[in-house]
Amino acid sequence: MSDVPFKNPGWAGNTGEFDLSEDQVRGDDFVGERPKHGGHASGSATMPYMLAEKNPDAVLFEGEYKERFEKILTRYPDKQAALLPALSLAQELRGYVSPASMDRVAELLGLSPAYVRGVTTFYTMYNKRPVGRHLVQVCTNISCNLCGADDVLAAFLRYTDTELGETSEDGNFTVIEAECLAGCGFPTCVQINSRYFENVSPTEVPKIIEHLKAEGDS
Amino acid sequence: MAYPYVSDREVRVVSKHFGDPLQRRIDTYVERGGYKALAKALEVGPEDVVDIVKSSGLRGRGGAGFPTGVKWSFMPKDTNRPHYLLCNADESEPGTFKDRELIRWDPHQLIEGCLIGAHAIRAQHVYIYCRGEFFETTQVLARALEDAYAKGYVGENILGSGHTIDVTVHAGAGAYICGEETGLMNSLEGRRGLPRIKPPFPAAVGAFGMPSTINNVETLCAIPHIVTHGGEWYRQWGTEKSPGTKLFCVSGHVNKPGNYELALGFPLSELIEDVCGGVRNGNALKAVIPGGSSVPIINAEEVSRCSLDYEGCVAVGTMLGCASVIVMDETADIVKQVRRMADFYAHESCGQCTPCREGTTWTAKILRRIEDGRGTEEDLDTLMQTTQNMVGTTICVLSDSVAAPVQSSIVKFRDEYLALIRRGERVGAA
Ligand SMILES: Cc1cc2nc3c(=O)[nH]c(=O)nc-3n(C[C@H](O)[C@H](O)[C@H](O)COP(=O)(O)O)c2cc1C
Ligand code: SF4
Ligand code: FES
Repeated sequence: MSDVPFKNPGWAGNTGEFDLSEDQVRGDDFVGERPKHGGHASGSATMPYMLAEKNPDAVLFEGEYKERFEKILTRYPDKQAALLPALSLAQELRGYVSPASMDRVAELLGLSPAYVRGVTTFYTMYNKRPVGRHLVQVCTNISCNLCGADDVLAAFLRYTDTELGETSEDGNFTVIEAECLAGCGFPTCVQINSRYFENVSPTEVPKIIEHLKAEGDS
Repeated sequence: MAYPYVSDREVRVVSKHFGDPLQRRIDTYVERGGYKALAKALEVGPEDVVDIVKSSGLRGRGGAGFPTGVKWSFMPKDTNRPHYLLCNADESEPGTFKDRELIRWDPHQLIEGCLIGAHAIRAQHVYIYCRGEFFETTQVLARALEDAYAKGYVGENILGSGHTIDVTVHAGAGAYICGEETGLMNSLEGRRGLPRIKPPFPAAVGAFGMPSTINNVETLCAIPHIVTHGGEWYRQWGTEKSPGTKLFCVSGHVNKPGNYELALGFPLSELIEDVCGGVRNGNALKAVIPGGSSVPIINAEEVSRCSLDYEGCVAVGTMLGCASVIVMDETADIVKQVRRMADFYAHESCGQCTPCREGTTWTAKILRRIEDGRGTEEDLDTLMQTTQNMVGTTICVLSDSVAAPVQSSIVKFRDEYLALIRRGERVGAA
């Protein structure tokens, strides 16, 4: 186990993805630019990030986000298909999907507000209320559970001083249980905002939390 | 030795470059022979591609094991309407972690497979539906796609062939049920991910009402290799009915968990003992779920007889599923783990069908009661009955998936249930 588990705790090898630097993901001579905030042309601009920095009052959508939104529309045969990507974009920007965000997205896509609420509430990744700057999702499903996920969850709750699903007083952390994150061979698997932390054991939890606090926005 | 663990018993076809970050770069991929299969496919045409895949006997790696070439041949031959190829990268079956690895280590392999698949079914647009949690994975894929567009492997007039195929990466938003093929289509269309009643089948009415085919990531990753080397080549591994190689995702109580690519038909006990370095701490083996959380659990004796191909698993009363081998040693608490799986299904049921919506919830509740020492022996009968009513009565098979672990564990590990019930009774009486 490496000394800096938050860099790459996983047995999956150093993919560098946790830092998201072009060089590490692609090798030294990568050319090309990743649009700010993770939007990407070929991904129909729909690759949102869960950012630590969030602005609940941001306008849907303007500037670079407007461009991404319009790009999304070109990738599908009809407007309705842009709903999930648009909601993800709204969440990236505002940190959660409020009823007001849903209504605005409905307006932009020519859908009824009721329909958009029905869809939004179906999917777990749309936060229906604000969450901490770092949303910690601990997988407690079977493979991780067999390897002690319950203890990892308990450690996160203890060291962030929160209750399950609640946000810590300093606004830094919300800790929730997650279903299988598809990292079962590298238990316990924890997703924090956009990043996967693999092979997390309870003893590493304080280090990860310190790292996140020190890192500031990611 | 590189990638988390490798074994010399492996046959690495789709996982050959796991652990090598260079493989993500398009130059390296092309240098190593990449996109040659695409050129060949464009040259020989859709019918021949389908024939090659049929002759390989490749079966869908998403769980059901349906022959891929046959599935492709169901697509209408006309091109008056758009056709769609959907790549299922919604990987969320507990125990399964292969598609994420395939994408982030070798994104071009998947893109090439998608393009060949699209050509075979005469589709001009591919949607790769990635589960929403895969932020980084999706980034890697999107960047690779950008490069492939830039080099003319995707988009208009691919390699000067006159064919146009676009590929879009689409991110989900967290719902297991979107991995079910028709649920995925609804989700892609901007709806709730509710599975649809079949027929009509996707090849007739699929995404956006158009003929569609859906394939798993691993299935499509095997395609370039099969097109390059031919069906017979692929058949050198595996069994008559389950040809080829398969990624096995081993998790739980083994010394070396991870992804291992093996010829189908590999003995399960050897996978655990030789490939994965045995059960951790030298403990005794208690149980294995060989195909992800939706298949029946088997005990140590059945493990010793189980060979890892579609038929071999059925022979010991379970299924290969997506080959996610979850290993439990003597310390594992079967009741707790089955309850955890039931919780998962109760959470993920889309709620359309009463047997599933009510059944998953009650199953989870009763199991929790037993786990907490408040259960009775009657509860076990109730569980058997409830889950039996959930089989074959619903729109999709999520409902059936609950019955598999619950029923098999009650039959095979009844003692553990009874011990909890008895202890509860004693504590209650005291
Ligand atoms: C509840 C449910 C969840 C599923 N989840 C997935 C999944 O995450 N990934 C996948 O490839 N197939 C999944 N499947 C299987 C798909 O419905 C479909 O059979 C498969 O993607 C077809 O691809 P293949 O022929 O290449 O296997 C799921 C099926 C059900 C019923
Ligand atoms: S079986 Fe369950 S998950 Fe499948 S469609 Fe019915 S309610 Fe939804
Ligand atoms: S069970 Fe935890 S990631 Fe799959």
